Amino acid sequence: MDSTELAGRLAGIVGERHVRTAEGDLEAYARDATPLFRHRPDVVVFPGDTAEVAAVLTLATELSVPVVPRGAGSNLAAATVPLHGGIVLVLTRLTEILEISGPELLARVQPGVSTKALAEAAAGHGLLYVPDPGSQVVSTVGGNVATCAGGLRGLKYGVTRNYVLGLEVVLPTGEVIRTGGRLWKDVAGYDLTRLLTGSEGTLGVITEVTVALVPKPAAARTGVAYFADLAAAGRAVAAVIEAGITPATCEFLDRTCVAAVEDYAHLGLDTEAGALLLFGDDGDPEVVQASLTRIGQVCTEHGATGVTLAESVAASEELLAARRCSLPALSRLGSLTILEDATVPRPKLAEMADRIAAIAANHRLTIGTFGHAGDGNLHPTCVLDVHDTDAIERSHAAFGEIFAAAIELGGTITGEHGVGAAKLPYLERRLGADQLALLRRIKTAFDPAGILNPGKLGS
Amino acid sequence: MAGDKIFDDDLLSRCMSCGFCLPSCPTYQLTGEEASSPRGRITLMRAVQEDRLDVTDPTVLAQSEFCLGCRACEPVCPAGVQYGQLLEQWRDTEWQGRRRPLLARALMAMMSWLGMAGITLLGVVRGAALTRRGTADAPHLMLGCVERVLYPRVSRSARRLVPALRAPAVQGCCGALHAHNGESGKGRRMAQRLGRQLPGTIVTTSGGCSAHLTHELGADRVVEFSAWIAAGNGPDPASLRPIMLDERGKPLPPHASGGRPARIGLQDSCHLRNAVGVWRQPRELIAHLGEYVEVPNAAGCCGAAGSYSVLRPKDSRAVLAPKLDALAELDLDYLAVVNPGCYRQLAGALKGSRTRVVHLAELLAAAGTD
Repeated sequence: MDSTELAGRLAGIVGERHVRTAEGDLEAYARDATPLFRHRPDVVVFPGDTAEVAAVLTLATELSVPVVPRGAGSNLAAATVPLHGGIVLVLTRLTEILEISGPELLARVQPGVSTKALAEAAAGHGLLYVPDPGSQVVSTVGGNVATCAGGLRGLKYGVTRNYVLGLEVVLPTGEVIRTGGRLWKDVAGYDLTRLLTGSEGTLGVITEVTVALVPKPAAARTGVAYFADLAAAGRAVAAVIEAGITPATCEFLDRTCVAAVEDYAHLGLDTEAGALLLFGDDGDPEVVQASLTRIGQVCTEHGATGVTLAESVAASEELLAARRCSLPALSRLGSLTILEDATVPRPKLAEMADRIAAIAANHRLTIGTFGHAGDGNLHPTCVLDVHDTDAIERSHAAFGEIFAAAIELGGTITGEHGVGAAKLPYLERRLGADQLALLRRIKTAFDPAGILNPGKLGS
Repeated sequence: MAGDKIFDDDLLSRCMSCGFCLPSCPTYQLTGEEASSPRGRITLMRAVQEDRLDVTDPTVLAQSEFCLGCRACEPVCPAGVQYGQLLEQWRDTEWQGRRRPLLARALMAMMSWLGMAGITLLGVVRGAALTRRGTADAPHLMLGCVERVLYPRVSRSARRLVPALRAPAVQGCCGALHAHNGESGKGRRMAQRLGRQLPGTIVTTSGGCSAHLTHELGADRVVEFSAWIAAGNGPDPASLRPIMLDERGKPLPPHASGGRPARIGLQDSCHLRNAVGVWRQPRELIAHLGEYVEVPNAAGCCGAAGSYSVLRPKDSRAVLAPKLDALAELDLDYLAVVNPGCYRQLAGALKGSRTRVVHLAELLAAAGTD
């Protein structure tokens, strides 16, 4: 079937207004936020409800046409690039917040709702939706669940998977299932909710999400500590946690990042320091105060060259902004920015930071590293010239070594961005052949025709 | 197209495609489609630059027209992409000859036909350029071309508030509309000519003109009126007295007793806010003039967008619609504007409503001082 005929069949399901086949539209959906990956789909379709999603998938299975589900397209692992053409299934028309329940501490939303919109709606009820990925202003809840998005609160509060209670999912063969629900306790059957969370659109299409909310903490504060190098900061983090404190926020920037951020945002950061540690806690004001003071003390005892506690909410916001702008600040150093996501057990953070620095030097690359010290999630970010093919080659080699180093230290190739197409070559190294084979069998059980997001995780 | 690049590579490569601009874009809000978002449009620009799409591609052409050019994507861009510059480069190429929207051709032709002499004459007849000369060495007040024709009372109010301002009748158009409609070279030359006609500091009551002139002449030459007043160049803002209204909502004379302070909202001028960074100052001034009410999404485009409301009335109304709903709920006495395009768009839409649309300069001139 050619793409005109396919588009006609799809128009019969969603209406002509919600199907695109023009070259320019296909080009716009040929990529997501991942550099260096691009492939045009044959058709883009915007379903308006679950029944339409089911009809599209049934058709696609019947015709063996690939389908790539997509939210806001902010993912960084090329998980929404239609590498094999076919249909891009855009869920941005499904933007209803269906329910926020204070008594039950949960929200029910359609997948196209932005994470920020959910967080704001929850805040309106005095509640907190915990996962706060850096992309929350644009990324969708559906996309966050599909990639098990992380954020700045991982250590104390966990990540997206810890907050997904239930899903409505359309299987590639067209059946609509509801996993989990409004229950905190439910062991009836395999935990498909967890399996689908982070499945990157390879097993089913999420059409509704039920998430857990928590009461909004009364106060939140942050502070900052400087160290001679990232390794010293890593040791201090280990000491803080050993002292029995679980900070809500514990982020770090290396020297390259501090300099780039200061140059961009002029926040008065100490650019002489080798590493910056941003820590924070939330809860009752007295508890937060005590916690911050104690973290500051432990940092000082473990080699911090300076410690500052934010005096106000505004000052805290400014410090968090420094962490959040580290990627864009770095991106200004070159025309191509490759952001990675290696993760190691927390005690290995310092060693991993050293390894990354050595690998960068060895390959003559500028790699700034920032990330979540609390959960060992590092974002080594390579900045280079988009026309320098030699440097791009060297960066691929460098990242290969970085992933190998992470695995060697007991870590993983991706902490929160996902496997997608970008990390697929490294997946077997992380999982081993037997586990990867099991992933493929699971994939086949869900998707016998292999139409959902081919060329990605599990396929 | 090889060897003859449309876009400045440095500007184009800034974009990381992170998508943070999507929620800020009024046309993406309308469609939810990637191609009508700033990131999607940059993807199209790159495809054209790299010969994957032709400039004549229908989507490329349609998107170059559908974009409001409001530049709301710029302040939210973490990577500092200068989208407004890219859009000008896009339209310079895209909108040549027959590909230029018919109405844009007609509009620009009309402005050329009317000529500066015509506009100057109209300005004098309608009283924008008062006969008073202002004070030697004082800044020049730019009369604008749209504003001079449609709203001469804005310049009159500005000069009533600060009589020292010089406003010679012979002054050109700043060329902002030309720059936004595929003639950035002409727009630049017009701005430079205006800069020569009005030496020294130029004060403008039009947010759109202020952005274009600031870009062409520099921030040390050009200042928008509310920013200039807020910086203490007119009456001391602290001495401004609130505008008091009687029980029927009619303003009381400046020093009368009783009444209630007016409820006043503001519609930001997109280019003033997104390109020049002026948004706090008009709010500060309004807070002296009555009860300031923040209009939801005041920073979002009202759909006027320079000549957009003339060229694409249907899309313009679609962009405006949610704003009108919000305004109906607020039940303001005044909605202040700082740009003639927004003035025309909102005054037209709110005709018959209780909320009066006025330029901030008019409100300032109507208020008493201590």
